[in-house]
Amino acid sequence: MEKYEKLEKVGEGTYGKVYKAKDKATGQLVALKKTRLEMDEEGVPPTALREVSLLQMLSHSLYVVRLLCVEHVVDNKKKNGKPLLYLVFEYLDTDLKKFIDSHRKGPNPRPLPASQIQSFLFQLCKGVAHCHSHGVLHRDLKPQNLLVDKDKGILKIADLGLGRAFTVPLKSYTHEIVTLWYRAPEVLLGSTHYSTAVDMWSVGCIFAEMVRRQPLFPGDSEFQQLLHIFRLLGTPTEKEWPGVSSLRDWHVYPNWVPQNLARAVPSLGPDGVDLLSKMLKYDPAERISAKSALDHPYFDSLDKSQF
Amino acid sequence: MDFDLENPLTTTEGCQNCCSFEALFANESDHMPSNSLFLSSNSHEELRISLRRQVFSLISQAHYCYNVDPFVTYLAVNYVDRFITKTKNLKQNRWIVEIFAISSLSLAAKMMNTDISDSLSNLQRNEGCFFEFQSIHRMEALILTTLSWRMRSITPFSFFNFFISMFEIKDSSLIQALKLRASHIIFNSHHEMKLLEHKPSVIAASALLCATHELIPAEFSSFEAGIISCQYVNNEGLLKCLSVMRDMEEGCGALLSSSTLTPWSVLDQHYEASEEGDSVKRRRLNDFCSDGMYQFSQIQHC
Repeated sequence: MEKYEKLEKVGEGTYGKVYKAKDKATGQLVALKKTRLEMDEEGVPPTALREVSLLQMLSHSLYVVRLLCVEHVVDNKKKNGKPLLYLVFEYLDTDLKKFIDSHRKGPNPRPLPASQIQSFLFQLCKGVAHCHSHGVLHRDLKPQNLLVDKDKGILKIADLGLGRAFTVPLKSYTHEIVTLWYRAPEVLLGSTHYSTAVDMWSVGCIFAEMVRRQPLFPGDSEFQQLLHIFRLLGTPTEKEWPGVSSLRDWHVYPNWVPQNLARAVPSLGPDGVDLLSKMLKYDPAERISAKSALDHPYFDSLDKSQF
Repeated sequence: MDFDLENPLTTTEGCQNCCSFEALFANESDHMPSNSLFLSSNSHEELRISLRRQVFSLISQAHYCYNVDPFVTYLAVNYVDRFITKTKNLKQNRWIVEIFAISSLSLAAKMMNTDISDSLSNLQRNEGCFFEFQSIHRMEALILTTLSWRMRSITPFSFFNFFISMFEIKDSSLIQALKLRASHIIFNSHHEMKLLEHKPSVIAASALLCATHELIPAEFSSFEAGIISCQYVNNEGLLKCLSVMRDMEEGCGALLSSSTLTPWSVLDQHYEASEEGDSVKRRRLNDFCSDGMYQFSQIQHC
């Protein structure tokens, strides 16, 4: 690790601590993620091997945070001296949560410019389409996991929630409760096989949050989360979502009727509302795919040549 | 998070149909050795070629003598080829050949989630080499770093489903037979370094066409026309690859009728002729031949 100078701790990612650091030779800023992956008597653990190689494959997209390299480090402070794996990622100065917060509070609260929302959403759909075309679901898309370069207007997907070696389903490394706000209804209802549509639900929630500058469905338990969703979109029925009432955690809920979605995102134009409603379809099979979303009329006014 | 050579990009449950062939074709070149290095003829390249042959031979033993799955050995050889073409100061001695073969096999087995530790122990015992775990792990780490952790190799097997879907075959048992035969052709021709210049998709298409020629010759022309019209396939490369493969297959058939040699024993004899023969190699040759049953089943399709 002598190659890097640790500058500051920038967070506790799903994997563990994250440091901002500088490559001493090139001056390049990087994000160092210390994993909890220890080398043991079998060498690199098979799960780590499979997952890191997957990250490496995905990081080819401009819209996914680039994995620059992987370092094996022997921690001399520890007695057993087992090498740890550090993942070295490119560094971006902020994330979408902080970016939205800076527009909500602070000295100069103001809406995000419509063109900025459009551009960020397009880049997010590009990144998600890339992951999906490689057969990978993110499963934990949220504003904190989307890194932003403010000056260049770039958004990239980070913290690809991979398998067992990295992610802990309910509690993160620091025992912070993992947010449910972006979780798709089929996941909340205990569906056992879920698909790329779970990520598109999250994309919809993030889209609405950029417009509103506050979360669309801020539930604090799985039950409350469902009620937030049902109150806005109506309680799902077998007609619009075949099979819903046979899902494992389905109960009988009050019969809410759907509200006008446009009212939840008042500053969004009709094309935007239409795209959002397609991302928030109850039936996962009907929910718009990332690839189709890129062709939605909402993006017609965007200069796509820059992407 | 499993890794399957036929579906290298599909990793998550419930997501079998979402991975796109565009991504496979776009990324396949990242997973092949830079071929020019094996084709030039200075002394350094001779070293690469000789190292590749020896490591290949040892890895093949893991399959023929110790029952390591041929997909695992195929993946291990892919790592070997990529490592060799990315490394500048190669050295070669028996120790390097052995640890290189064993570490590549170990990585490939981890990727494919199978345990081959017994086979690797037997291989080491038979070779008279015993490596400490730490040495193997250091070599694994060196391979990982050199290959930038790109271990989810896109191999010819990844393209089978794409090409077969172009053939519009309805009979699923015929599809299985074609895949099985094409896999055998790919395994049997893996020692041939002339094929290293071809992309995995081209090798897949050629092997499937060879298999078609043997199993359903009447369909050959239409399948070939279909593949040639495919936008992703370079036709010149395809015809070249197909010709190398067919020559090998025909050579294989001639061998079978004229002698008891197998492609592997021919290969190993080639080493004997080109390098100093020693008892280790001779023993290996004997080991190959002692596994006659399996080899016969391999070769009888040729």
